[in-house]
Amino acid sequence: MKHYKMILILAVFISSSVFSQEKERKTAEITIMTSAVCGMCKDRIEHDMAFEKGVKDVNLDLKTKEVSIVYQTKKTDPDKLREAITEIGYDADDLEADAKAYEKLPACCKKDAPPH
Amino acid sequence: MLVLMISYTYTFGQHEEHHHEDEGHLHGVVYDMGPNSEKIPLPGANVYWAGTTIGTATGKDGTFHLDRHEHGNLPLVVSFVGFKNDTVMVSEDQKSIEIELNMNNTLKEVVIANKAPGGFISRIDPIQTFHITSAELEKAACCNLSESFQTNASVDVSYSDAVSGAKQIRLLGLAGKYSQIQMENIPNLRGLANTYGLGYVPGPWMESIQVSKGTASVKNGYESITGQVNVEYKKPDDSEKLYINGYVNNDARVEGNFNTAIKLNDKWSTMLFGHVENLSRKIDHNGDDFIDNPLVKQYHVFNRWKYDDHKNVHAQFGFKVLQEDRQGGQVNYIDSELRVPDNGYGIGIRTDRFEAFSKAAYIFDGRPGTNIAFINSFIHHFQKSYFGLNNYDARENNYYGNLMFQTYLGNTNHQLTSGISYVMDNYEEYLNDSAFSRKESVPGVFSEYTFTLPDKMTLLLGLRADFHNIYGTFFTPRLHFKYNLTEKTIFRTSAGKGYRTPNVIAENTYILATSRNIRILDDPEMEEAWNYGLNLTQYFDVYGKELALNVDYYRTDFVNQMIIDRDFSAREVLIYNLDGKSFSNSYQVEAQYELIERLDVTAAFRYNDVRMTIDENIRRQPFVNRYKGLVTLSYATNLNKWQFDFTSQFNGDSRIPSTNDNPVEYQMKTSSPAYTILNAQITRNFKKWEIYLGGENLTNYRQEDPIIASDDPFGKYFDSSMIWGPVSGIKIYAGFRFAIN
Repeated sequence: MKHYKMILILAVFISSSVFSQEKERKTAEITIMTSAVCGMCKDRIEHDMAFEKGVKDVNLDLKTKEVSIVYQTKKTDPDKLREAITEIGYDADDLEADAKAYEKLPACCKKDAPPH
Repeated sequence: MLVLMISYTYTFGQHEEHHHEDEGHLHGVVYDMGPNSEKIPLPGANVYWAGTTIGTATGKDGTFHLDRHEHGNLPLVVSFVGFKNDTVMVSEDQKSIEIELNMNNTLKEVVIANKAPGGFISRIDPIQTFHITSAELEKAACCNLSESFQTNASVDVSYSDAVSGAKQIRLLGLAGKYSQIQMENIPNLRGLANTYGLGYVPGPWMESIQVSKGTASVKNGYESITGQVNVEYKKPDDSEKLYINGYVNNDARVEGNFNTAIKLNDKWSTMLFGHVENLSRKIDHNGDDFIDNPLVKQYHVFNRWKYDDHKNVHAQFGFKVLQEDRQGGQVNYIDSELRVPDNGYGIGIRTDRFEAFSKAAYIFDGRPGTNIAFINSFIHHFQKSYFGLNNYDARENNYYGNLMFQTYLGNTNHQLTSGISYVMDNYEEYLNDSAFSRKESVPGVFSEYTFTLPDKMTLLLGLRADFHNIYGTFFTPRLHFKYNLTEKTIFRTSAGKGYRTPNVIAENTYILATSRNIRILDDPEMEEAWNYGLNLTQYFDVYGKELALNVDYYRTDFVNQMIIDRDFSAREVLIYNLDGKSFSNSYQVEAQYELIERLDVTAAFRYNDVRMTIDENIRRQPFVNRYKGLVTLSYATNLNKWQFDFTSQFNGDSRIPSTNDNPVEYQMKTSSPAYTILNAQITRNFKKWEIYLGGENLTNYRQEDPIIASDDPFGKYFDSSMIWGPVSGIKIYAGFRFAIN
């Protein structure tokens, strides 16, 4: 019985790591200009965007404020991704941040915070 | 900012104003945001290139000048006590920068890569300190402070007996009572809380833990001998608005935690924490008719408040209430019935504990690094317990007060902290028909001088004098020295003294769960020891990634110690003051490396040589593993959706006191085997949810027959204190975390 549990655990371990590397599907990469100002903004955007449908990779460069996103073309598109960023509280290219979400950001993450 | 006074703050000092226009320098200003969004220059903030020891501190006007790093474009880390570290990207052609630190900043530790390392050794602390972040704490999701060191090579955790479920930590191979456990730099879990205290700190309440080895700063008292464990709880001004955690394991142990933080206005914030745990199923896997883990019911509430005027005044206070019931012993024992041998052997421990604390700090304008702080703590602890036919009740009232003033001499390279303290301990203990009481009243004075050469070295010299109403006046000298041999090589050394008053019964309650005759031969004297340490940390570039290698050696020499002698006879336990030598040598080597992308590996090995004069011979201290090895693997998938953690602990053999004067069937070997413990956990992260599934002790390793004479608990051979390995076997658990930020 004890050994079954152990094997079960290992099986879950192995299978889940296999499943996480899903089959390659058609992906595209896009770079979006954001209003991120600090390491915390980077964390927020990367964490929240990771759970958007179709997103395969997110990387925000604080130097340029650009976020590059790898996504599955079948599941999402650039407009949806930009909108998702505004809903976190940040500008995305020409789109303004969602006002409610922006209000909820900590003071250091707001656009008018001095560059830091 | 209150933390300022009580943690080992030191600044790199002010840099001379060099206005180099060349590309090799970066200059900038660090601001604090005032209440009206005005910029207040922040003096004394540390600024350094991530992953290096190249750093400086801001001057009076918040400015700094820093050499460019030769290895290219590293993030710049800004840290200031009381603020979260901030990490800033600086482009190669940038010559100046403005940085704003904010109290509301909810950054987790130093964010360098995609995935911040869960644990790391501080590069700037003059005392060798290992940081365990909340990310690391989540790798071992169960349940409280006693389980928080699974991935830490320096701290061992073991059961003290087979019936009460109490767990003890060991640092440098010596019992947890010789290290100082603190809650946000206030001494806690001492006195009566020594035995069960680790279970009073729920894992999800903690923000981080700092483990320092060797002698500590004199600011927090004379008690620390082998090191310090400091726990930081979540803070009202930067924690989740709502956090809920649930946990269940295969023994039907259920735990629930929640916390909520509310910002009342710009200055006030408050936070409420709750914890319940319940284990109500009697489980006896090893078939000795004793429950493997005691039944536990615990309720725990904590409310804390913070005031910060963003200028001169910072204050915090809080209250904690805890109630715990533990029931152990034989499976057929019924607590509600008469406690006679016919009812079987039972153990019951009821604890009521109340804590209150306050901290207030005033920061002087116009003079950097100058402040005054006042810390108060009150603890009431009541324990009512029985172990078979032994009754033990105890009550403790403790007050701790500390008033500190910190400033600099000449320039900020010379920092001085001085203060006065007062500790009161009032104990009343009742063991069967005997009553003991002790009142301790200890005023003290201390001073600590820090000399810093920016980027090069730090020297910490501390001295305190305490005036004890029972043990008289004694002095505690302590020294720490840190030297950056190169940019990537840090050398540290320390030496110092520590003292403590033994609580003979309270910290050895395991001897009550035996039939041994307890004989206290001497009036207890203060325990007293010297500790010396050497530590070298080296960072290597290996295939473009950093390998951190840490080597340390610590020696503890007891001048006096309370010896618990289980060697003289298996039928007795003798308690007396050390007559002869007692020492510990601890050698450790540890390496950390990101083996492949997002796979962090830690490997460590420690050798313990702990010996003391027991029964007139120098013997190895019983139940201390000769060595310990540790390997941890931690892998996160891209985007951190899945997290896999695996830990393997290799525990060396330990000495078991002789049981040769018992009948053959009640004898144990004189040495325990070496054994391995495997733990693993899988975590799935969602936007607001995390769920985890894990296992402890996956190979189901158990000490066989942990209780001597379990078939005759009221006979003269019964002994449940001879514990060298795990009492309970494999544990499978699952749980969730839900957070709204």
